[in-house]
Amino acid sequence: MKRSAVWKDRLLTSVLAVVAGLVVSGAYIALTGKDPFKAYFELFKAGFGFESLTRNGLFQTFQLSTSLILTGLAAVVAMKSGIFSIGQEGQYLMGATVAAWLGSSVHLPYVIHPAAVIACSMAAGAIYSFIPGWLKVKLGVNEIITSFLMNNMAVLLMTYIVNFPLRADKGSTAHSAIVDETAQLPVFFQGSKWGAGFILALAAVAIIHIYLKRTAPGYALRISGEALPFASYGGIRSARAVLCGMLISGALAGLAGAIEILGVYRRIMQGFSTGVGFDGLMVAILAKNSPIAVVVVAIFFAGIRLGAQIGLQASMSIPRELGGGIIATIILFVAAESLFLGFIETGRLKWRKALGVEGGRGE
Amino acid sequence: MSYAVEMRGITNYFPSSGVLANKAVDLRIGKAEIHAVIGENGAGKTTLMNSLYGLREPDSGEILVDGSPVRIPNPEAAIGLGVGMVHQHFKLVPSFTVTENICLGVESSRLGFLSPAAELESVGELMEKYGLGVDPKTPVRELSVGMRQRVEILKALKRKAKVLLLDEPTAVLTPQETASLFEVLRKLAAEGCSVVLITHKLPEVLAVAETVTVMRRGEVVGRRPVAGATIPELARMMVGREVVFSVERGAARPGETELLVRDLVVAGSGGAPAVLGVNLRVRRGEIVGIAGVNGNGQSELVEAITGLRPAELGRIELGGTDVTSEPVRSRRRAGGAHIPEDRMTTGLDMQASLEENAIVASYSGKALSRFGFLRRRPIRDFAQGIIDDYAVASASPEGGVSTLSGGNMQKIVLGRELSGAPRFILANQPTRGLDVGSIEFVHRALVAARDRGAAVLLVSVELDEIRALCDRILVMYGGRIVGELSEAEASDEKLGILMLGGKL
Amino acid sequence: MGDVFTLDLARATIRLATPILLPALAGMLSDRAGVLNLALEGMMLLGAFLSIVAAFWLKSTYLGVLVGMASGGLLGAFFFYLYKRYKVDLVVLAIALNLFIQEMTVFALRTLFGNVGSWSDPSIRQLPELRLPLIADVPVVGPLLSGYNAIVYFSWLAVVAFHLVLFRTRFGRHLRAVGESQAAAEAVGIDVSRVKLFALVMGGALAALGGAFLSVGHLTSFTRNISNGRGWIGLSAALFGFDYPVGVFLASMVFGGADALAIKLQATTQIPSSLVQFFPNVFTILALVLVALRIRGGEYFARLGFRRRLSAETAAEAKRGSGRESGR
Repeated sequence: MKRSAVWKDRLLTSVLAVVAGLVVSGAYIALTGKDPFKAYFELFKAGFGFESLTRNGLFQTFQLSTSLILTGLAAVVAMKSGIFSIGQEGQYLMGATVAAWLGSSVHLPYVIHPAAVIACSMAAGAIYSFIPGWLKVKLGVNEIITSFLMNNMAVLLMTYIVNFPLRADKGSTAHSAIVDETAQLPVFFQGSKWGAGFILALAAVAIIHIYLKRTAPGYALRISGEALPFASYGGIRSARAVLCGMLISGALAGLAGAIEILGVYRRIMQGFSTGVGFDGLMVAILAKNSPIAVVVVAIFFAGIRLGAQIGLQASMSIPRELGGGIIATIILFVAAESLFLGFIETGRLKWRKALGVEGGRGE
Repeated sequence: MSYAVEMRGITNYFPSSGVLANKAVDLRIGKAEIHAVIGENGAGKTTLMNSLYGLREPDSGEILVDGSPVRIPNPEAAIGLGVGMVHQHFKLVPSFTVTENICLGVESSRLGFLSPAAELESVGELMEKYGLGVDPKTPVRELSVGMRQRVEILKALKRKAKVLLLDEPTAVLTPQETASLFEVLRKLAAEGCSVVLITHKLPEVLAVAETVTVMRRGEVVGRRPVAGATIPELARMMVGREVVFSVERGAARPGETELLVRDLVVAGSGGAPAVLGVNLRVRRGEIVGIAGVNGNGQSELVEAITGLRPAELGRIELGGTDVTSEPVRSRRRAGGAHIPEDRMTTGLDMQASLEENAIVASYSGKALSRFGFLRRRPIRDFAQGIIDDYAVASASPEGGVSTLSGGNMQKIVLGRELSGAPRFILANQPTRGLDVGSIEFVHRALVAARDRGAAVLLVSVELDEIRALCDRILVMYGGRIVGELSEAEASDEKLGILMLGGKL
Repeated sequence: MGDVFTLDLARATIRLATPILLPALAGMLSDRAGVLNLALEGMMLLGAFLSIVAAFWLKSTYLGVLVGMASGGLLGAFFFYLYKRYKVDLVVLAIALNLFIQEMTVFALRTLFGNVGSWSDPSIRQLPELRLPLIADVPVVGPLLSGYNAIVYFSWLAVVAFHLVLFRTRFGRHLRAVGESQAAAEAVGIDVSRVKLFALVMGGALAALGGAFLSVGHLTSFTRNISNGRGWIGLSAALFGFDYPVGVFLASMVFGGADALAIKLQATTQIPSSLVQFFPNVFTILALVLVALRIRGGEYFARLGFRRRLSAETAAEAKRGSGRESGR
């Protein structure tokens, strides 16, 4: 994806896309015979509302956004390297599987245990991301398909591992043993699942932001992904930079998996992950590849989903899938961005004419 | 007398670049005639042919085919009138066979179904009639370049072309293939086709054409039968002009050899030969120029020297160090700088800021980064330094580069490449597309670099530029260095002859 | 292990391969026409949903299937229109469409039929299994080939039809030309837009038909995400089959067979299904790597050939004494 020339225009088109998406989705609600304005009110109240420390949607939204922030970040790094990888899902699963395994089978003291587990999960994700990256850089193999296949393989692998080697239940849904207490990540409030993982996610965003903007390897990565002939001409070792980017991307997705296991679920089970990796990709697209924007978009995304589930479905009987529908509509408008840019341009010209700046009539 | 094709008063103007490509051009192609249209880069030949082939309707003038005025708004119309074009870059489907490619778009079909046998037969007949043998069942991707060109010709003939336009057809051929092509062209003329050969290679014109039209800077400067013409005469017509550029330049004081190229052989795209055994040497404190029409191996030579393309054979040395198999980074560290011919895709990152563009080669050095972190202040100062020293208008380090004019963009490239006092500078078409003021600026910068002791290699298609700047001039033709002249010896005529394939 | 590879397994393979084959053919068409279609998953879901709902309302399963197919075709046309007119990024568009259809089909389901995660209705009749008159009586082959529903047979016919169209008709040749070398196609006056539109519309219809198979072909119900990634697997199968109709058919059989085998093995032995299903993915990656190596290898050999020709030429040149040193 290209870096847009003007920062403000970029923000404007994003806002317009969101507004347009919300408006059109309001139409879907109206079609079902319900009041769109009330529906949106309930949605935002449920997703972002704050009634008390123990009763609010905002904290839950923060918790839900944690994995989205990281998988979104992972997608951003991959795209900045010029690789359109959709493999975040598989990397996430690998990280989660490793975390569930090492969290319960190895026994280490507090702090060291989760740190070690997280490191291994990140390594697993990194390796998993490296393979499609290497195939693309060295052999030119289509990374969309390879990363998709790797996702499949990860799901299958995880299913196998949960059902057999790591199985620790006697019931119908397979799941692994609960990870040691020493490995678990702390939560902020009793009863909530929002915890240290969120801090880790925000830290990751800060680190990646600095890495991309302020460090030499980050610069090499960006330029290689953005303008490969220029990078080669300048002497940048592009292959190395891009592959490094893929490792980082995978590590971030693996980290997301580890946090979900150690911080939220405490074990891995059949059916774990319902497309978190893919959601991360969408967050990245909406955030226009900006690490900071990923946080805002991820929280928005999570909030809409939660709000749709609790606010719309529970209190207004509007199916919660509308949440996804809203997001999809917004992305559709993001895809048609050039449309908006065109509108902005013509609008600007008309504005100028009206003010008499153009055509030499102004003072 | 009726001509196969007549173009009268054709004018083509490109407002976006302000270039008058064709100025009231008259062209007359006789029936069954092999007619060469010659001129340097930028003479307007390609634009003229594009008008004839329907790729661009002329701004004014008229075209007559077989004596009747016609309009040619698109290639389909041209083909309908019997005008066929063999492009320089072949438009063939690699996995299709020769037959399939020839018949593509004009297949006869019964209820939509193809008849391969009938196609094979008709193609076979065509090949026999014109003496153009190619194995009809081979996939095109397995064919040599010469054979592929035959397929392109057959494509045009299948569509009943009576006038065949060939744009620089021998650029990608070996000498044997060129000879074969000429045989084919003669056969075509014998069968009643007119052939228009667009080329800059004078020996070929003498070998195969009957009439030649000479173009220069958008106008026709002459038209005569080939019989009795000489290379010097034609060269004079093509390149003779008043010198436009003059740069103040003291005498060169060459020192040690900085760049040494020995027996360099480089492959072009698709395995075609591009550089065939080049030897050259550039010393510190001198500007050596490589003159030549585009497409004679200069790009590949530049890429090989700078490390963007591998050398098949030979040796490249920078400052005494063998860099033949070294990556770009090592060559830059050895003191090499490169001003590329395409500043917008290679020389700059249009999406990045000015300072990001400025540091691409030096960002990892101690001056601009520490412990892996980019040092913002030094980088900003460095970028601002370039802006100030090179007077880049309306620019700031954090600002973009896409809004800058061509001249200002080139200033940034220059500023970056010349910073760090490089010992060797390769400038490839450094003033292409620039206004006069910017051209002068670039020239002065190169001379200043020379005077500070750098070795400068200038590759350019503009003879004026070469003669204005260079202490020694090499001419490249057909992948080889075909001549070397000192500043005093060089004249437009001599250079023209060498550039166009003649011998002094 | 003799009783593993039985007729049942073969029939299961064919049934499981069909919803992969149809999107695979769609993907093949898009690849061949040079237009990227990543919305196959969404098209399948749309077809699945609309087929069953239309079958319910129109009281005819066949009509429902036709409605489903038509919707897929329309979606393909819509896809093309956005691409052509507004130059939207096809990848982002596909992602948006996939998500939208995935969520909004369930939304519509719940809105229309009440708050259910999956829906079915006894009045909907699944597509009947057809008995092929003469073939069914042939020993061995008969029971293998007869007794599937119309969609399965349609998919087989589609394979044959596409083979004929792609390699024996003018339109097919033009389509292949557009996908492989658009410049060459344009140079001879082929209407590139028409070709791409065809690929997207036909592809949409086929993918939607695959979805219809899932919802009304065997069992009659619609669940959230009933396609479960088959649109993507179809794309992989197309690549694995190197975009040849026969190859795509075989690749789909491999994927379908792996599914069938996995289920059977899981039931009869301890071998987990996930392991068996692992392999088609690996095979596809290997196939892609092989193709890439072939291309790289081609370039490598071109340069090698160049070097060989060159040494012959330079030897000849050296004898003639050319090549000048410059700079004294």
